[in-house]
Amino acid sequence: MEPILSLQGISKSYGPIRALNDVSFQVPPGSVFGILGPNGSGKTTMLSIILDILKADSGNFSWFGQPGSPATRKRIGSLLETPNFYHYLSAVNNLKVTQAISGRGTPEDIERVLETVKLSHRKNSRFSSYSLGMKQRLAIGAALLGNPQVLVFDEPTNGLDPVGIAEIRALIKELSAQGKTIIMASHLLDEVEKVCTHVAILKKGTLLTAGQVDEVLANEDIVEVSAANPDHLRTVLEQMGGYSQLKQDGRQIQLFFPIGSANMEEINSYCFRNSITLNQLLLKKKSLEAKFFELTND
Amino acid sequence: MLSLIKIEWLKIKKYPAFWWMLGIVALTYPGINIMFYNVYQQISTSKNMAGEIAKMLLGNPFAFPETWHSVAYFSSHFVILPSILVIMLVTNEYNYKTHRQNIIDGWSRSQFITSKLCDVAIISFIITIVYALVATVFGFYSDSSSAYRWAEQLYYIPLFFIQSFAQLSIAFLLGYLIKKAFIALGIFLFYNLVIENIVTAYFTYKLKMDGVSRLMPFEMSDRILVAPSFVGKFGNDAKATYDRWIDAVPAQIALTVVFTGIIWLICYAVHKKRDL
Repeated sequence: MEPILSLQGISKSYGPIRALNDVSFQVPPGSVFGILGPNGSGKTTMLSIILDILKADSGNFSWFGQPGSPATRKRIGSLLETPNFYHYLSAVNNLKVTQAISGRGTPEDIERVLETVKLSHRKNSRFSSYSLGMKQRLAIGAALLGNPQVLVFDEPTNGLDPVGIAEIRALIKELSAQGKTIIMASHLLDEVEKVCTHVAILKKGTLLTAGQVDEVLANEDIVEVSAANPDHLRTVLEQMGGYSQLKQDGRQIQLFFPIGSANMEEINSYCFRNSITLNQLLLKKKSLEAKFFELTND
Repeated sequence: MLSLIKIEWLKIKKYPAFWWMLGIVALTYPGINIMFYNVYQQISTSKNMAGEIAKMLLGNPFAFPETWHSVAYFSSHFVILPSILVIMLVTNEYNYKTHRQNIIDGWSRSQFITSKLCDVAIISFIITIVYALVATVFGFYSDSSSAYRWAEQLYYIPLFFIQSFAQLSIAFLLGYLIKKAFIALGIFLFYNLVIENIVTAYFTYKLKMDGVSRLMPFEMSDRILVAPSFVGKFGNDAKATYDRWIDAVPAQIALTVVFTGIIWLICYAVHKKRDL
């Protein structure tokens, strides 16, 4: 299947600062594609380039197999960096401008998206009177106009309260379930881990890794075990072999196996044969946070 | 194009500063003309010889068809008022970052500049309407006996539009390049009111190089609407100067159109390349 978005060798400098360095990856259709990176890693610069706000120094990108153009941008609902609206216009009038420019949606659609982002009760208030969270909601609403098949969200939960964050997360999952492709930049790892199917990690403008979340995260199987006597358990497990590393954290022992090689039944029966009854046996994927720190730490 | 105008009109009509500007223009244009009309009235209604001579010399600058010319000339001095609005409209886009959002939502970069060109055209059009209304009212009010000549010299209406559009385009260029409203406004006012006047006077009177003066950005289009015809009635020299000005108007129009065209080409070229 043709990728929704494809980047080839994108580089961008601001004077002496290299913001993006030869970045290439592809976003498959129907994916929720998380772009991760610490502050200043080039996430927003990259999104700005694919939305024609910034010009890349070299490299190119394509949307739907075509070079980026106004026509391709009209098919994408985008929220970049901050909610950008006319301060003196109401939510409805701001969305009318968005609608007229993008050609996405109808007047009825404006009511629908305002309902979705829970702004109907303030739809005629000026944008300048909105709270940070409401502004963010309006920007998400604007992106949803006309029900586009592709959405680009840059830090979508910025400024939202915990309830708002949960709502946006649910909304992203719902949109994903409808088959939409969502490209989302974030530094909130938990957020990405909960909703993304794919992830790309950037550090100082360089792409460290990109792919399916499972592939990027799970290069090791981690098995957590514990028993009433952890020291005895450890002694027994040390004689078992087959794993690459053993760590003890208080009463809990972690065994690291090459991906796909941990056999839970085997471990259980081995311990049982050695007169140990396990009170915990758990297969864990490496958390995104751990992976992120591993990749981005010098 | 029509859709761009519609979108810009939606942005403009809800902008409070637009209505303030329109209100002030709607007071200023009649105001300045009433002032000059009163001066004319005082001179021409005095019962002595001087009054009679003045009446004969001046004619009635506010009767048809001279009203089109006189009101255009006096009103055109207040281009600063709509200029403030033009600068605000472009710098707002930077402030609100909507200059980015418009592109993200699907405009091309050149469509964005075209939309701003529409802004300048819309505002020029509106102030031209205000001018035309004021000139019409003066025409009928000051001398109803010449009302039948209303259709003469109607070409001052498009000339007023061209001059306004040209000078507002300069305001736009400053706002567009400088991005900060107050700095752009400051430079615009200082240049328009002080620097260019000094430079123009220096070239015209000191160096006797009027050919340079007529090329100055504002002077170029100022000379599309020259002073009303009565200034040419004070002796042969004045008449010769006035005739020379009038004869130069077509050339000044051509220069203005070219200069304004260059301003917009610069905006299109810069916007095509620059990071937003």
